[in-house]
Amino acid sequence: MADPHTNHGATDHGHDYAKEADSPGGLFMVYVVVLGLALANVGLSSMGLGRYGLVVQLGIATVQAFFVSYYFMHLRQGDKIVLLTALASIFWVGILFVLFLSDYMTRHMVMGW
Amino acid sequence: MSASHHSPVLKHHFEDLGQQHASERLGMWMFLATEILFFGGLFGAYTCYRLWYPTEFEYASSYMNVKFATINTVMLITSSLTMTLAIRSARIGDRAGLYRNLLITFALGTAFMVLKGFEYAHDFHEHILPGAASFGGQIKSNAEAQGIDTGKVRLFLCFYYIMTGIHGVHIIVGLGCILWLVQQTYANKIPPENYSTVEVVSLYWHLVDAIWLFLMPLLYLAGAGLKTGGGH
Repeated sequence: MADPHTNHGATDHGHDYAKEADSPGGLFMVYVVVLGLALANVGLSSMGLGRYGLVVQLGIATVQAFFVSYYFMHLRQGDKIVLLTALASIFWVGILFVLFLSDYMTRHMVMGW
Repeated sequence: MSASHHSPVLKHHFEDLGQQHASERLGMWMFLATEILFFGGLFGAYTCYRLWYPTEFEYASSYMNVKFATINTVMLITSSLTMTLAIRSARIGDRAGLYRNLLITFALGTAFMVLKGFEYAHDFHEHILPGAASFGGQIKSNAEAQGIDTGKVRLFLCFYYIMTGIHGVHIIVGLGCILWLVQQTYANKIPPENYSTVEVVSLYWHLVDAIWLFLMPLLYLAGAGLKTGGGH
């Protein structure tokens, strides 16, 4: 039944914004996946993952962040320059991590820490 | 000349609404890139000390309240869904749906902060604090009994309060933006062609959600498998 508050096919001089709207079913599926991964992360961590704990936990968090950014933040339908900005931020964080970890994690080799 | 030149939503320095929406999205993503780098510095510092002192960090993490954090995670993920549904409502011109989704998002974000407040209060009560004089209780006595360096346990607690505190400030800013969207909806200033106003706020909200998805394992789950922790 049509929602009386809904202006289906709302247009701006021919541009149909409603047509490009996300489907609620698709969004709900993404929600279930992200939520399921969060609960799996808690469950697996409670069991004790040993030395692989950090890698597994951050791996799950990365998959969750991918779903959030790709679907909820609309990277999948974004302009190329938006996608480039998002990827550039990850790249810069990568540089940050590589440079300062390569310093702090190797100091004991050269300074006898 | 495009007909969208006459839209009241169109700002004078844009050619058309398509260009305006793209610029708004790009502007917010540029800001988010700086936010990612800002949190990247914190995550990097944490990683460094976690690799240096894994035992102490996992021990301290076992005193974090996983139950509260899990409930907060569920609320934040749900708020991300309702925020995205708010964009959909704006696009299809469903003003009642836009109100509903914005208010649910606001309620979930507020509940997150309230629960965080209870969690901090519990931590204060249990002396799970980084200061030399305020640090005490079970977390201190058990560490001393196990021969764990309490200075490094307190270092973890510094990361815990700084990272969750800064994240909390971001949530409060997001809540303010959502309230502003509610006011704009009330003033009937968000017709379908102005959906990007909701989308821009949602981008910020989702980033705050995504950062929490990393804070959760780093701060709360690092020691979740230890049997020696606080037992939350």
